[in-house]
Amino acid sequence: MKILRLQCKAEMLRVLRNPYFVFWSLLMPIVFYFIFTKVVNTGAPDKTEWQAHYLMSMTSFSVMGSSIMTLGIRMVQERQQGWATFMRLTPLSDTVYFFAQMMGQTVIHLFSIVVIFTAGAIINGVTLSFTQWIFSGLWILLASIPFLGLGTLIGLMRRVETAAGVSNVLYMAMAVAGGMWMPLEIMPKIMQNIGKWLPSYNFGNGAWEIVQGNAPEWRNILILIAYLVLFMLLSKYIRRKQEAV
Amino acid sequence: MTEIVRVQHVSKTFHDKKAVNDVSFSIKKGEVVAILGPNGAGKTTTISMMLGLMHPTNGDLKLFGLDPSDKKVREKIGTMLQEVSVMNGLKVKELLELIRNYYPNPLSLKELIQLTGLTETDLKTRAEKLSGGQKRRLSFALALSGNPDLIIFDEPTVGMDITSRNRFWKTINQLADQGKTIIFTTHYLQEADDVAERILLFHNGSIIADGTPAEIKARIAKQAVSFATDDPIYSLEKLNKHAVVTNIYQKNNRVIVQTEDTDAVLALLFEEKVGARQIQIENGKLDEAFEQLTNEQQEAM
Repeated sequence: MKILRLQCKAEMLRVLRNPYFVFWSLLMPIVFYFIFTKVVNTGAPDKTEWQAHYLMSMTSFSVMGSSIMTLGIRMVQERQQGWATFMRLTPLSDTVYFFAQMMGQTVIHLFSIVVIFTAGAIINGVTLSFTQWIFSGLWILLASIPFLGLGTLIGLMRRVETAAGVSNVLYMAMAVAGGMWMPLEIMPKIMQNIGKWLPSYNFGNGAWEIVQGNAPEWRNILILIAYLVLFMLLSKYIRRKQEAV
Repeated sequence: MTEIVRVQHVSKTFHDKKAVNDVSFSIKKGEVVAILGPNGAGKTTTISMMLGLMHPTNGDLKLFGLDPSDKKVREKIGTMLQEVSVMNGLKVKELLELIRNYYPNPLSLKELIQLTGLTETDLKTRAEKLSGGQKRRLSFALALSGNPDLIIFDEPTVGMDITSRNRFWKTINQLADQGKTIIFTTHYLQEADDVAERILLFHNGSIIADGTPAEIKARIAKQAVSFATDDPIYSLEKLNKHAVVTNIYQKNNRVIVQTEDTDAVLALLFEEKVGARQIQIENGKLDEAFEQLTNEQQEAM
């Protein structure tokens, strides 16, 4: 138990010291939030509703990013630099190591959520009910699990450059097409139809529904679970192929 | 004495290519063993199998009588592999504290610093910002952090300057005196000769010699007595009659007598009155032995 705690602590320290994390997962979403709610006039009919909606978009955007990029790229790095091999030779079990990474990542997500929510409250005075804050935060935390699955899938790539490239493209494409940068409603019909099947839209939509005073749709939950299962099966299959030495 | 490592008829094949071919050896507690051989001889593959990172195609390996990937084995070994491994984002001290906690009886931070020569500044530096030499020192400290009974190094001194190399071997000797079992691979003959009590000489995936550095030198009988004389033909005829002479020939102006007993040959020179001058005794050097053994093997194939 002590080992698990120490390992989690070490994992969190590592993420917080990663400049990419600080830039992409904390700074960027807050800057975007500021620009699209303060600087640019988006012409949203209900201003307070838009400010709450976009706060959820940016928080989901942040957490999705660190799930895919921070986790995936780090896994590739560790393997390439021989660290993963070293860890296999220590008495620390693979399960504890993996679990600690996930735990560390989750705590970091919680941290991002608190920071970005606070930024929203300060910048625009976004006011939600206590339960709305808690449930939207919890939703973003839990519903990000499929993206952690995607992160481990990217973590199976052989080269850091490939992993960074692929995860960047996936991340941005999913953010835009899933309505995180601008609402899906203002996009062409065909983009809307595609977007509704993406994990990013279903992830964001849960939080958007909560700040509207609704519960996340069943559809969102089911689609996210389906993606999680898909990513897990894929990574299991690829791992088995790679291990055939 | 207790057997720490047992390797029995182990082979490893990669895509039809035999990297390791029917290798067997056993290592006892407290031995310092060098796995010596040219590049591609199968040293690293053998180490990887001993560590449970690869599975042998055939044969059986045991460390402390257990499967190499057993947690009990992991708690008793320390390793330093060729790749310089670091974990980004943690300071050296944080990293050492973390890894120490994995083991039941770790060395204290103070002992690790003393053994590896890490400095106060090193300890406060983040692992990814260390220089190559500092990373090596960190790897060494990580390998020792669990106070291992068995220490396995793959090419430990590659990339070390002379000072750190000397320091490294000094520490290894210190650890050997404490009764630790130490196995390292190298392609530097000098290192194997200086440090190891026993050499496993690998070539083309097989062990072609196993013994103390002295035994390996003696086995190939490179010792010789050479001298100058006015009548080389006479001395060749006279000396060749004696069984102690394994080979005799003339090279430039000198007669070379190969033998396993140089003292006996010296006595013969005076008994037979061959008029020998400028007598020299040549003891075999390990690198000659090494070259000869690996060449013989190639010719045999």
